[in-house]
Amino acid sequence: MSTKRSIVFFVVVALLFASTSLFAGGRAETTGEIVLTWPSIWVGQDSKADVMEEIVAEFNEMHAGSIRVIVEPQPDYDGYEDTIRTRLAAGQAPDIFTFKLSPTTAAYYGGNLLMDFSAELAQGWGDNFNQGNLQASTIGGATKSLPYEIGFTPIWYNQDIFNEAGIDRFPETMDEFWEAADKLKAIGVVPTSQMTGGTNSWTSMLWYTHFLGSFGGPDVWERGFDDPAFEQAAAVLKRLYQDGNTTRDAIGADAGVSGGHYQAGRTAMFINGAWYIGNIRDNSPEVYRATQLAPAPKAGNYHGHQVGWLHTNLAAAHTNDPARREAVIKFMQHLTSPENARRVSLAAGSLLAVEFEIPADVELDPLQQQFIQAGNEAEFLIDHMEASMPVDVVYELGQAIGAMVLQDLSPAEFVDMLRAAQ
Amino acid sequence: MRTQLFKNNKNKVWIVLFLLPVGLLITAFFVYPIVFLIILSFMEWNGIQPMSFVGLRNFTDIFANSVFQTSIKNNLIWAFSAAFLQIPLALLLALVLTRAPRGWRFFRTAYFLPNVISLVALAMMWSALYNPEFGLVNYLLEVVGLGHLGRNWLGEINTALPALIFSYQIYVGYFMVIILAGTLSIPKEFYEAAVIDGASVLQQEIYITLPAIRGIVVTAGTLAVAFALRQFETTFLMTAGGPANQTPVLGLFMYRRMAGLQYGRAAATGVLLIVLGIVVLSGLQRVFGKSDAVADSQQ
Amino acid sequence: MDTNTVIKDSLNETPFAIVVVANLLKWVLLIGYLSIALFPMLWLGVSSFKTNFEIETSPFALPAVWQFQNYVSAISVSGLHQFFFNSIIVAAIATSFNLLVTSMGSFVIAREKFAMRKTLFTIITAGVLIPIVSFMVPYYTLITRLGIYDTLLALIITYAAINIPISTFLISSFMTSIPKELEDSAEIDGCSFVQRYWNIIMPLSRPGLVTAGTFSFIYCWNEFIYALLLTSSRSARTVQLAIRFFTSQFRTDYAGMFAAIVLTMIPTIAVYIFFHDKIISGLTAGAVKG
Repeated sequence: MSTKRSIVFFVVVALLFASTSLFAGGRAETTGEIVLTWPSIWVGQDSKADVMEEIVAEFNEMHAGSIRVIVEPQPDYDGYEDTIRTRLAAGQAPDIFTFKLSPTTAAYYGGNLLMDFSAELAQGWGDNFNQGNLQASTIGGATKSLPYEIGFTPIWYNQDIFNEAGIDRFPETMDEFWEAADKLKAIGVVPTSQMTGGTNSWTSMLWYTHFLGSFGGPDVWERGFDDPAFEQAAAVLKRLYQDGNTTRDAIGADAGVSGGHYQAGRTAMFINGAWYIGNIRDNSPEVYRATQLAPAPKAGNYHGHQVGWLHTNLAAAHTNDPARREAVIKFMQHLTSPENARRVSLAAGSLLAVEFEIPADVELDPLQQQFIQAGNEAEFLIDHMEASMPVDVVYELGQAIGAMVLQDLSPAEFVDMLRAAQ
Repeated sequence: MRTQLFKNNKNKVWIVLFLLPVGLLITAFFVYPIVFLIILSFMEWNGIQPMSFVGLRNFTDIFANSVFQTSIKNNLIWAFSAAFLQIPLALLLALVLTRAPRGWRFFRTAYFLPNVISLVALAMMWSALYNPEFGLVNYLLEVVGLGHLGRNWLGEINTALPALIFSYQIYVGYFMVIILAGTLSIPKEFYEAAVIDGASVLQQEIYITLPAIRGIVVTAGTLAVAFALRQFETTFLMTAGGPANQTPVLGLFMYRRMAGLQYGRAAATGVLLIVLGIVVLSGLQRVFGKSDAVADSQQ
Repeated sequence: MDTNTVIKDSLNETPFAIVVVANLLKWVLLIGYLSIALFPMLWLGVSSFKTNFEIETSPFALPAVWQFQNYVSAISVSGLHQFFFNSIIVAAIATSFNLLVTSMGSFVIAREKFAMRKTLFTIITAGVLIPIVSFMVPYYTLITRLGIYDTLLALIITYAAINIPISTFLISSFMTSIPKELEDSAEIDGCSFVQRYWNIIMPLSRPGLVTAGTFSFIYCWNEFIYALLLTSSRSARTVQLAIRFFTSQFRTDYAGMFAAIVLTMIPTIAVYIFFHDKIISGLTAGAVKG
């Protein structure tokens, strides 16, 4: 029975080879040195990967022999969220990690799993941060995560296509907006990219939030679903899905599809953050050059606002060991120093909750420059839905849009669906 | 008790020894988690704060949820498609390939190949195929003059679930391989006698092959139904339960409750999914008979 | 007389028209399903030579320029080659371990008489119904308590255990169908319990073992969620995690990812062809062709 023998042989050889690596993890800790592990998503293809690696390496060099931060690369963002959630549920928070702060994940502040940074922040460190973001990260007096990355998503539009359609500037009222949409359709271009797929209906969630801000102003989320703004914005969203105002595949489309249409010049308007700049610059240089940014047209009482929110918070495991705690604080202070924040922002195009000056001589990507300008010009910022509502409501958004469009639900019924998911 | 368990069996020590490893692993990796799941299904727990007992509230809550109700219905459709679409197709392919037509080894390998492709890539491919803007399905319909049938397959209420289930048939090769292992084990003498008696191919299949592989087909069917009931990755990646909550399944419902930090409801869903599986499988076994695995015949 | 002659002989008995139609239907089925089964491979293969833009905007066109460097970046970005060894170790040992444990259990369940036999079988195989993702918290707790978090051993044990229900189904199916007489005569010849298992039943259950082994290997090779959850350092990670290095929070490099997927599929296809095909074909030669 030669096959059997060869299988046995293979297994034995494999075992021999494996015996060394089988039990070896990254757990080895030399005496006296505090080792902090950081399962990080800012690795691989992420735009912050290189600069983060440098910052961590510098920290390790500065504290050689006493503190060492080990980055554990965590590709795949959904998988990362699953992992963090599971580890917290098992009562074992990673030494350092990141998460999106939302009404759902605010639960992480409960119990005694996360380190409270408020004492150290009060001693001057807190001044580094944007105070609004810091406040948003403080629940019941405890700042158990540090505001870090900001999401900021103005409307992108393709100036070349607008010119071709005879639209001289980005519409400021809804009448102008629908008029522009008709002109775009007349030259065979679909006005907007929309999508209901993925876990959060990304592009359409941002459109909805833009209009929500216009109808309801900066505090609309706090007033909740009974505010008429939710229905009014839904009516606009419904129309965006009808009459050829978006692509035929919008219902069910994911972010790749909705972004792809804009990059291919099939749609004239789209919404995303500065992280998308590198993508579009590489893939579709012409559309990249033609892209301009704008706030949403005035649909209700407010105009000139933008959608911006706290995207990523830094967190650490609670510890009773003062030396360990000090080590974590040192690293966090290093990471959130204005100097390092500037490096991250310039290298990766990220907007951060840490405040810093951009030197005049730095050459920025023109689109990135536009982002900064749009941020400075914004009348006010409104959080997107994911930062303001429980995860279940965010999931339901895509379903509610689908139902509103396919089953012709009224905007009121659309809001009912979201309310029921709460 | 022990003596009664192994009445008249001189090998009891060996039996216990042979069952020990599998017993340990099953206890650690299935029994313990299931007990955990069952306990959790009566608790409210967000994964952070201590659990609190809520009785049957998780169950009443999810039963009242219309997405959960749709999920149950969809799970039954998935199970039905596994038993009456996937398995017949697998059986048919296995029977044809058993008779070794030209190039059969190539066919057998090719049919199995989709099972080794990453799910993420397959889901992307199917989504692109069904896409109404640049998809191949609508394009092919246009080519053959049926362009008016073209639609947003995964984005319309009536077509999303059928399109998902159709795409899942790419895994037929998995069950074909199981059945094939069965047909190839049938001694050829069985057929020789039949041929001498002048039995046609169809007669041979009906009177020799099918009875001989009945057990393995039921095994394959049981696995197919079980997989179809617990699948949620295909749904998650291709429609995420949409459009308008038309395509959710229990596995997806459960996963979402976990993401929403509602571990109690997630556990209750998991428990109900297992119960549903037991009900569906015992129903099917009543119709098609038991799997070979513990058949009484040889005892 | 080989199988083909047997079949040809029997075909001679049937009217010509039916033979032609049956043959035609057979080939329509074979080739029709072939095109469905091969299309993903073809699509993935072609896509792995395209740019991201082409993949996202014209997924069914041929690449304007064949991007061979996707394969270079597939290896350089993810360090794929470093993880191949881990994956092979995990999949090979977990599968062997799974087959050993399951075949011992199945042997006893299928060939021995004792009360609770069926209950035991039901308990073991009920696992196929469980959506394994619901076990994330218990598995994480279990593995950290065992002190093997972030080791290959954690994955080996978990994968071997997860596959027990399916393997038990397949292997015991075959073990049950072996005629009792073979064993009885062996026992008369003085075969011990272990000899009966290893020398009589195991060789005769080869189709089941090979099928279960192939499925287990593919599962171990493609598993992602628990690989991510139960390991953290590079030394214990598998190729599926390397593939995901192409997906970051805001951007997925499909071109690089597809190239990486194509590269990681090669071992599974090889295992399928060498182990499954070879062994099953050996069996065909033995059993059907006599």
